[in-house]
Amino acid sequence: MARTHAPRDGFTATDGGAHVELRGVSKRFGEALAVDDLTLDIEKGSFTTLLGPSGCGKTTTLRMLAGFFDPDEGDILVAGRSQKGIPPHRRNVSIVFQDYALFPHMTVRQNVGYGLKLRRLGRAEREDRVDRVLRMLGLQPYGGRHPHELSGGQQQRVALGRSIVMEPDVLLMDEPLSNLDAKLRVRVRAELKEIQRTLGITTVYVTHDQDEALSMSDRVAVLSDGRLQQVSDPWTLYHAPRNAFVADFVGHANFLPVQVERREGERTVVTVHGRSLVCHDPHGVGTSGAEAVAMIRPEWLEVVPAAGRDPQDDGSGRTFDGTVRTSTFLGSFARVWLDVDGLERPLVLDVSASSSTSLESGRPMTVRVPDGRPVVLAEAPSDVGAFGPDLPRRDAAQAVRATHGTTA
Amino acid sequence: MTLRQVPVLGHLIVQSQVAADLWRRDKGLGIGLLIVVALLVLFVAYPLLVVGAAPAVSDWVRGATTGRWRTTMGNTLFMALLSTLSSVTIGFLYAYAVTKVRIPGAAFFRLVPLLPLITPPFVSGLAFILLFGRRGLVTHQVLGLNTDIYGWHGLWLAQTVSFFPIAFLAISGVLRSINPNLERASQSLGAGGWTRFRTVVLPLATPGIAAASLLVAIAVLGDFGNPMLIAGRFRVLATEAYLQVSGWADLRMGAVLGLALLVPALVFFMLQRWLQGTSTARYVTVGGRGSRLEAEPAPPLVRWGLFAFCAFIAVFMLAKYVVILIGAFTPVWGVDFSFTLENFTRTLVRSGELWNSLRFAGLAALICAALSTVAAYLVVRIRIPFARELDLLALLPAAIPGTLLGIAYVLAFNTPPLALTGTGTIIVLSMVFMFLPVGYRICVATLQQLAPSIQESAADMGASGLRTFVDVILPLIATSFSAALVYCFVKAIGTLSAVIFLISHGTVVASASILNLAEQGYWGLAAALSTSLIFIAIAALAFARVAFGKRFALFDV
Repeated sequence: MARTHAPRDGFTATDGGAHVELRGVSKRFGEALAVDDLTLDIEKGSFTTLLGPSGCGKTTTLRMLAGFFDPDEGDILVAGRSQKGIPPHRRNVSIVFQDYALFPHMTVRQNVGYGLKLRRLGRAEREDRVDRVLRMLGLQPYGGRHPHELSGGQQQRVALGRSIVMEPDVLLMDEPLSNLDAKLRVRVRAELKEIQRTLGITTVYVTHDQDEALSMSDRVAVLSDGRLQQVSDPWTLYHAPRNAFVADFVGHANFLPVQVERREGERTVVTVHGRSLVCHDPHGVGTSGAEAVAMIRPEWLEVVPAAGRDPQDDGSGRTFDGTVRTSTFLGSFARVWLDVDGLERPLVLDVSASSSTSLESGRPMTVRVPDGRPVVLAEAPSDVGAFGPDLPRRDAAQAVRATHGTTA
Repeated sequence: MTLRQVPVLGHLIVQSQVAADLWRRDKGLGIGLLIVVALLVLFVAYPLLVVGAAPAVSDWVRGATTGRWRTTMGNTLFMALLSTLSSVTIGFLYAYAVTKVRIPGAAFFRLVPLLPLITPPFVSGLAFILLFGRRGLVTHQVLGLNTDIYGWHGLWLAQTVSFFPIAFLAISGVLRSINPNLERASQSLGAGGWTRFRTVVLPLATPGIAAASLLVAIAVLGDFGNPMLIAGRFRVLATEAYLQVSGWADLRMGAVLGLALLVPALVFFMLQRWLQGTSTARYVTVGGRGSRLEAEPAPPLVRWGLFAFCAFIAVFMLAKYVVILIGAFTPVWGVDFSFTLENFTRTLVRSGELWNSLRFAGLAALICAALSTVAAYLVVRIRIPFARELDLLALLPAAIPGTLLGIAYVLAFNTPPLALTGTGTIIVLSMVFMFLPVGYRICVATLQQLAPSIQESAADMGASGLRTFVDVILPLIATSFSAALVYCFVKAIGTLSAVIFLISHGTVVASASILNLAEQGYWGLAAALSTSLIFIAIAALAFARVAFGKRFALFDV
């Protein structure tokens, strides 16, 4: 793994950290089970993200890796060695905090050199390593400044520099970008990933932001209520979520209640209101005759142009006729909520902004579900709400009145 | 270069434009401002100027050349240094134990240092005489020693116990403001417990510790009751100034000695303000968001060591009050320890002194709280002229030793049109302005937390500045008003240093009476009267707590 990438700015790649294993790790705080029997392999040199909503146990896991507390059950191994009972300052693991936790009384140089000084490194070597890191992060001009004299983005780099200068076995990051503004966040994301790849440091990254997780990670571990839901590469996570929670948390999705007809190898045919859909069933959850849920991403649905419609199309296939309830323009595309007869919730689809289709409320529209795209899941998520993802509030209120017949 | 750019003149021009603007916009506020300014100038600035101008050059020469006073000045600085050092050391350890290490029983230990803050400071002196004096409970009765507590070491002990709570309060605020993630970060970078303390906690707390030291030093410099009671022949400026005035009626020499006390106090005061300002600007936490991890529990040795330390201090502090209570029911301390109620019947039933203390302190507290609230509102929320100067004037009394304030009031209000000496009014006024800074600071802090939009929306609906204050601001800062009220009351009822110059026949207050009784060796009577004052102060605090509930927080610990 080491030195496979070209050195950048004279900074040589390190040995690339270590292989990390979590084995049946549990952590309790009083009555609450923060992390529940978590088993996870983190490969040497990889960028692994722990993704989940707040309270899912991702930060607790990170803190156990840092050594701030030990697991109640299970064990954590770094390079094959159990970490139990090793205090944080004796682990070669370094953490970047969400609030950076820069030492306000030290300059940038002193902050970055702090850990090396504690390792009793010679002055010359220390200065040399600090210099390399500052150069790499573009912080050279700010070496003499104090944290309060830096912008948020610069502070974030100092926090990163302070960690990577230690050449840790594992680099831990706790939502390091959440204090940056949106534009900067996207830029730093790419830089962070690039630095990680250059150095080949084993990195564990915690976030609740799916975009961050999908764009940076080699592997993403989705957590909910302390339990591991799925761990895979970002592409698989998005296209073949293991369960409804993952499907709902990563990206947007329609969930259609369906009846499983038959299985054809990798494919499963299901019916919904007389239409049959050919689904992808990567996890093999569909059994013939059973009820299931088809998950369809908004961008998978295709609008069928009214003009090019084949009158002979008997509708057995994969089309839904509906009327546009509402739409929102989002720049490169528009998100449309389509009321379809017989469906409890409107279908949500993304229509390219270059499309000439009229998206006015009340307009009829026909959409097609391409074969093999929907994913069969065992059940729908519990808390999608009655109207599917992201319906504007105004329409949600209307829908409530419509369904309950109340006049507000 | 325009006139506006001339340093002082420019400031005056700009501020007078602000004044004209305010007057045009809102006459009610203008009048309110005029009243506040008039009061502060008349009762803070004017007496200071009078006392500053009182001594002639010859008096200054006499003060500087007389050996006895040179010794006194040396003593004063020596005590300021010694007592500050011990108070801050104990205050820091205590605060560290309670806020960072969170020793067992931290909630209890947190409360103990608050007692000296609400009870008269000279209680320490009195208690230590009863405990360790010639006929002391510990020294004479238990150990059979023939020691003498009177002198600098007794004063040191009394002042340390009286003033370490000031350091404790200030330093625990500083320690709590240190982001625990900093310690976690340092730990993750390889620092063990002691290294974390040495490289992160201590450097970050240093400006706060320095500021706390200055606060304590100001309190030690101005302390009058303890040196009067327990210092014996060891004289400090505060007591020497009093003796010049009371013994020799030499007000001008008293003024010289008092001013000699004011100079270091003022320097410390300004230094403290500067330190507070720069340290918050520099060490303000960056990147506010993010969950914070609690600091790692300290090793058992540190934890239990600090616990033992705090327990010792707490027992010592509580013993102070217990011994006063015992003293109050004892006929002759050191000789006859039987139980009696006579001390109470003789002091309380007979005298009007306690009643004087109550009514003066009560009235002063009302005025002080009202003035604090209005002044804070004007300074924080209204664009008024000379806001910085007004702010300084409201806080200035914090730097004025009570002794000097007393002498200044005697000098300033001795002749018509403001011939107030000998009246109760002058006593009340001295109390109001002596304790104004704390009340004012409480109100300022509350107002700064209120979103300006609340006030703007009231104005938007057509309320005048005065109307906004009454309808919107007052209800919201009722708790800080009551905190200012209670603080001023508990302080005023036990104050001695300024009041001692201002009492006369018919306006004697309990604290002065206690000093008198103690000097004459009526320990039982002095203890009984002190007990009453302590109970009144605690009752006032308890009452406010009941009336305002949890929202009432006098000390932020």
